[in-house]
Amino acid sequence: MIDSATLLTLLGLAIIAAPAGLLASFFLAFMLDRRPSEESVGRILKAAIAVSLLAAITAAGVMIGTGRDHYPIVLGDWVVAPNFHLRFQFILDLLSLSYVILALVLCNIIGAFSTRYLHRERGYNRFFVLFAIFLLGMVVAALSDTVETLFAGWEMVGLSSVLLIAFFQERPAPPRNGLRVWIVYRVCDAALMLAAVLMHELSGGGDFDHLVGAGAWPHVGEVPMAPHFVLLGALFVIAAAGKSALIPFSGWLPRAMEGPTPSSAVFYGALSVHLGAFLLLRINPLLASSVWLSAVVVALGLVTAVFAFLAGRVQTDIKSALAFASLAQVGIIFAEIGLGLDYLALVHLLGHACLRTLQFVRAPSLLHDHHQLENAIGARPEDEKPGWEHKLSPRWQARLYRFSLERGYLDSLLEKLAVRPFLWLFHGLDALDRGIAARLGDRSISAWAPKPRRPE
Amino acid sequence: MTFILLPWLELALIFPLAGALAVLAVRSPVHALRWCLGALTISLLFATGAAVDHFIAAEHTRAPPFQDFALDHATAPMAPVLLLLHVLAALGSSKSRVTKSACLRVLASAFIGLAALSTTEGGVLILLLSVAALMPAWDMTSRARPPQAYLAYIVPILAMMVVGWSLLQQPDAPTWAVGLLLAGVVLYGGVFPLHGWMPTLFGNAGFGGALLAVLPLLQIVAALRLVLPIAPDELLTAAAFASLFTAVYAGGMAATQRQARRFFAYLCLSQTSLVMFAVLLHTPAGVAAALCLWISAALSLSGLAFSLRALEARFGPLSLREHHGFYEQVPSKAVCFLVAGLGVVGFPGLIGFVPMELLISGSFEQGLWVSAALAVAAMLNGVAIMRAYFSLFTGKRPTTSVPLRVTATERTGLVVIVVLMLVGGWFSPHVVASRHAAAEAILAGRAQPTP
Repeated sequence: MIDSATLLTLLGLAIIAAPAGLLASFFLAFMLDRRPSEESVGRILKAAIAVSLLAAITAAGVMIGTGRDHYPIVLGDWVVAPNFHLRFQFILDLLSLSYVILALVLCNIIGAFSTRYLHRERGYNRFFVLFAIFLLGMVVAALSDTVETLFAGWEMVGLSSVLLIAFFQERPAPPRNGLRVWIVYRVCDAALMLAAVLMHELSGGGDFDHLVGAGAWPHVGEVPMAPHFVLLGALFVIAAAGKSALIPFSGWLPRAMEGPTPSSAVFYGALSVHLGAFLLLRINPLLASSVWLSAVVVALGLVTAVFAFLAGRVQTDIKSALAFASLAQVGIIFAEIGLGLDYLALVHLLGHACLRTLQFVRAPSLLHDHHQLENAIGARPEDEKPGWEHKLSPRWQARLYRFSLERGYLDSLLEKLAVRPFLWLFHGLDALDRGIAARLGDRSISAWAPKPRRPE
Repeated sequence: MTFILLPWLELALIFPLAGALAVLAVRSPVHALRWCLGALTISLLFATGAAVDHFIAAEHTRAPPFQDFALDHATAPMAPVLLLLHVLAALGSSKSRVTKSACLRVLASAFIGLAALSTTEGGVLILLLSVAALMPAWDMTSRARPPQAYLAYIVPILAMMVVGWSLLQQPDAPTWAVGLLLAGVVLYGGVFPLHGWMPTLFGNAGFGGALLAVLPLLQIVAALRLVLPIAPDELLTAAAFASLFTAVYAGGMAATQRQARRFFAYLCLSQTSLVMFAVLLHTPAGVAAALCLWISAALSLSGLAFSLRALEARFGPLSLREHHGFYEQVPSKAVCFLVAGLGVVGFPGLIGFVPMELLISGSFEQGLWVSAALAVAAMLNGVAIMRAYFSLFTGKRPTTSVPLRVTATERTGLVVIVVLMLVGGWFSPHVVASRHAAAEAILAGRAQPTP
């Protein structure tokens, strides 16, 4: 008879192996230069998610049945060097299983929706390859018990997200917006990478249980108060803020709406945008160890929530309005995490992800829904009544409206403070390089002379 | 443990030369390309055998004229990598444009590279590096491009290496001779502000020729064998930080370039500088990271170049100022470009991930800001690659009168690259263990300097 520990290990592996197998099957098709039909893609996808979901639910049942509150799956050290080791380690606990089951349920729904929504779309297979990368990334990140495995999942989610934003690649705007999002992601990934290095130095490894204790989530353990731990926490907060589009990184979220609606639903309504909150929940004792860090997280969350509420009020397209509505809720979830309300934050996260996915997938048929509603009630629904903003003076109303319309001037601020100086510096250095090479007789410089400038 | 008793290294060295003779004997450039590819493939098999032989079999003496050639722990894995780069360069050559002299250059480069990796004589190494550095001038001349700009950079660098090495052979060598040799080796890797030879090289030489001149990163052999055993700590540290600065600078330059070749040149410069930085850290963690990164950077960059070359062969010089939409024409090239590009920046699961993590962790003892600078360099390289990907592969589909799908030969190259990127990421544990042992052996030699 198989014991519960072995069973949990096998189930944990099955949760990850099924999406990995899905990706491997796409890779094999690429290697063999085969193009699978729409039906086979849909079938493989559903099978992989079903296996993974079944394993996750069974694992949750076994844990409840055996009274285990957490179960680490240690697959051993992958790389071992005197000053460094990378370990494959996953964890089954309330947080990881809740998030992974949420991810699998929503991916199952969105996967089934997408097989119809994207029927005969050019790039159908490309969408599902990227969807498979996302799914694997999400499962790996959710179950990770080391910062390296979390980083691996985190990066996979980021890559698939960016490539799906640029999905309609014949138009110029999606790739440009994809690149913008990628830049923000890379900045935040650098913070996460540094956090991983610092974590190795402080706790002697990348395992979360070394850092925050080996107990069950959320009462894991305590982290000593020390400046290095605050720095580590700050790096995690930067990474989380970028992934969840918190201020000052919020500018990328409406740009991400360029992608197909199913991917917007699952990425920016449900899973990807909550990954930052998930990371902070995983390291909650680290936040709890510093009042200042907690205060920063609360402030960041509340400011983002207010900003997203204001910006969302003036959006004229449904996907952008939903994106800002999501952001407002994510901001509140962050504030809850900063206040130490971990259970509330987790429940809020799960509920919000489900609601927002539903809203996103209904978004393309919004007008149809309104017509149905009007037909059902036999009249037009009442217009929204004037809100609190009408109590402000006209001058402040105009200012507030402009602020909201310009999305808090965040994009222009980032452009003025970061992008333009960067481009000015490197274009200047490039001109210098070209000048020196031309003086030395490099004829290729004239062949490479920039043409009249087109908008990049 | 026994291994088939064959003179693996000798055969790997001889076959490029034999291939060159065959190329000289045939008339048609297409036949010359076939001979070239055949000779390189066989040489690759023997080089792989030589690497395996080094790790599992006992040392054996070699007959003249090969008595001064032997692979060591650091260079053994690079021998098949170097030959693979040459095979990929030959595979990526367009049949309609290939010339006999181009085939000869590829074969000569393979021989010189392998000889430089395996020579045990410092003087021979300097000579081979000099010849390898001057080979692109031949390429430029054959393409009617004046090589003076390239030579203006590279000749003083070679002179520094040669003079530095010659002075160090004297019994009463001045102390600054080490600095001169170190400066020559580091500048050969490309250091701001004297890095201009690399963009000049990629602008004037053929893509394949430029690639083979840069990607084997032969300057790392010189750094490991000639500089590391004798250079004082302060000089090494100063040179390491110059390389680190160059890595960040070149990353920024790559992210803002408007031409594909210049983008690639700066990307190579950034990666070369990262490897050089890691070597010059002269710590076991740093050198081990450098040895891993040497392999991964060479393979990933060659994969990226393979895609870029194929696009250039079809569409001419590529600008990054507009969106070309090549994905619809050559989707497999897009996949190869992206996978290799992500391999360059250390994306998880790909070949560059573990080396990059090792490097960033290994440099932590120099300060968190050093790790931060490395993370910034990786970030900038990542931005550069994705920007290039979007410029080249997204946008409106170009209309062409002839089909531009990948050929069977190109497809072989693509599959090899993608498999290497993925498999390389999963076999890291063994590679890291062996690289760490090699790093410790190199630094043990530094403990007992033998100038």
